[in-house]
Amino acid sequence: MPDKITIALGQISCQVGDKKHNIEIMKKKIAQAKKAKVDMIAFPELSLTGYMVRDRAYELAEPVPNGPSVQEIEKIAKNEDIHIIFGMIERNPKASAILHNTSVLIGPKGYIGKYRKMHLPTHSVFEEKRYFRPGYQAPVFETAAGKIGMMICYDVYFPEITRLMSLEGAKLIVCISASPSIRRGFFETLTAARAMENTVFLAFVNLAGVQDGLQFWGGSRILAPSGSLISQAKYDVDDFISATINYQDINRVQAWAPVLRDLRPEVYTSLRKKTENL
Amino acid sequence: MLLRQEALKLDLPLTATRLKRFIKDYVEKTKAEGAVLNLSGGIDSATATALATLALGKNKVVALSLPERETRSALDLKHTKMLAEKFGFSLETIDITNILQAYYKTIPAFDPKERLCKGNIKARARMTCLYYYANRQNRIAVGSSDKSESMIGYFTKWGDVAADISPLMDLYKTQVRQLAAHIGVPRQIIAKPSTPQLWPGQLAEDELGIKYEALDLILLGLENFIAAEEIAEQLDLPLKLIEEVKARWLSNEHKRRAPLTMKMEYRTIGADFRLPYTPP
Repeated sequence: MPDKITIALGQISCQVGDKKHNIEIMKKKIAQAKKAKVDMIAFPELSLTGYMVRDRAYELAEPVPNGPSVQEIEKIAKNEDIHIIFGMIERNPKASAILHNTSVLIGPKGYIGKYRKMHLPTHSVFEEKRYFRPGYQAPVFETAAGKIGMMICYDVYFPEITRLMSLEGAKLIVCISASPSIRRGFFETLTAARAMENTVFLAFVNLAGVQDGLQFWGGSRILAPSGSLISQAKYDVDDFISATINYQDINRVQAWAPVLRDLRPEVYTSLRKKTENL
Repeated sequence: MLLRQEALKLDLPLTATRLKRFIKDYVEKTKAEGAVLNLSGGIDSATATALATLALGKNKVVALSLPERETRSALDLKHTKMLAEKFGFSLETIDITNILQAYYKTIPAFDPKERLCKGNIKARARMTCLYYYANRQNRIAVGSSDKSESMIGYFTKWGDVAADISPLMDLYKTQVRQLAAHIGVPRQIIAKPSTPQLWPGQLAEDELGIKYEALDLILLGLENFIAAEEIAEQLDLPLKLIEEVKARWLSNEHKRRAPLTMKMEYRTIGADFRLPYTPP
C-alpha cells in the first residue's frame, strides 16, 4: 500500500437521464485530474444518470461490471492510468427488474468492485426504496491507491457502515453523495464525525446544480483522520479539488485518539437486540 | 420548536442566489427565450419579477400589468412603472376590461352579485394573457404565489397560481418581505397591504381575519407537525383560529394538485407516474 496518494473530487452538475453527456463531463474532470497528477478521482452519487431520474431509473439501469457504461469508464481509467469512483443505477444480474443505487470502483487495470447503498432514504423528497433494493455488504478493496471503502450519501447518518469498513482495514472512505441544500449542516457535521470516530481519511463528493427544484449543495471535501478539513469545494456550483493525503497520518492520530483500540464489542450484541425490538 | 419570528429569518444572500439560479437553470434547460410574469404591483409579483430580471437579465423578462375597470389602482400602476424603471425589464400594460365584459355578457349563468365567481374570471383572464405571451414568445411563465397563500388556498384555482415555475412558493409572506427588501424592491411596494384584486377594496389580511405575521407562524407550526393546542398556547391565540387555519390548509389540497382521477390501471397519472421535470 502506498504511503501517499493524491485524490481528486469531481463536483459536477449532471444532465438528468443523459449518460453520454455525463460521461463527457466526467472526462473533462479526469483530464484536469491527470494534470494534477491524481491517483484517484471520485464523482457523486448517480453521477452517470443524474439523481432525479425517478421512473426512468428502469431504462437507465445497467449491469455492473458488464454494462456499456462501466466498460467505457474502464477504458478511460486504463488509458489515463487512474482510479475512478462514480455512481450509477445497477441492474441486478439475477432479477433484471431489481435495481441498486451503486458506487463503482475502477482502477488502471480495470474493474475492482462495487458498493450497493445500504440505507435508502424514503422521506421528504427522497423515494429511493420505491426503486432500489438495499445492499447488504460493506466491502473494502485493496488497491494501488490504498485500502478503500465506499458508501453513499444517507449512509453517513449510520456510523455502523464506516465502522465496519474501518474494522476491515479501510484507510480511505469515499462517500459519494447527492445531497440537497437543506441537508448541508447535517452532512458537514456527520462527515467530520465519521472520519474522526474511525481515524480514517474521508472523501465526500457531492452533486452540484439544480434538478427538479432541488439545489445540490456541492461542498465536496477531503477530511483528515482527525476530522479536520484538508480541502473543500465551492458550495452549489461545479468545482474540482485535489489533495495529497499521507496514510501515515492515521498512525499519528491513532496514537492520541485510539478509538479502534477502545471499542467495546459487547455493546454490539445489545445494539442488535435493541434495534430488532425497536 | 419555538414559533417565533426568528424561525422565519432567511439567509438572504443565499436565498436570492439559489432562487436566481433556479429560474436561470429552468429557462436554460427548457431552451426558452426568457420569462413572462403578471405584475400586479403587489409585493409577491414585484419580488418574482425583480428576481427573474436579476437571474436572466433585463432583456429576457416581460412583465404584464393587467388592470381592469373595477379594481384599477393608480398606486399599483405607479408601482409597476417604478419597478420597471428600477430593474429595466419590459413592461406591457394591457387593460383587460373588454375581455372581462365579453365573459360577463356571454355566459348565460353570469351573476354580477357573485363577486368571488366574477373575481375568479379576472384571475383566469390574466392567466390566459400570461400564457399567450409564454406560448407566442417562447417564455416560461413565472408565478409569484407565496407559501402562506398557497397553503391556505387563498388564490384562484387555474388563475393567479398558474405558472411553469413558482420560485417563491416555499417562502412565507413575511419571508418574501425580507427577500424583497434584500433584492431592492422599493419600500412603498413592500409596505403596501396585499390584495388579490378580485373586487374593489379587497384586502388580504382583512378578508383572512389575521395578520401575516401570525398566520405564517401558525402555518410554520402546522408544517412542523405541532399540535393545534400547542400552537395556540405558544402564540397566545384562540384555539378556534388555529383550527380554522388548519382546516383551510387541509381542505384546499384540491387546488394544489393535478386533478384527481379514478385509478383504472397499474400506472396512473398523478398517483403513479413519477417522471423528471426536464428531460434532456
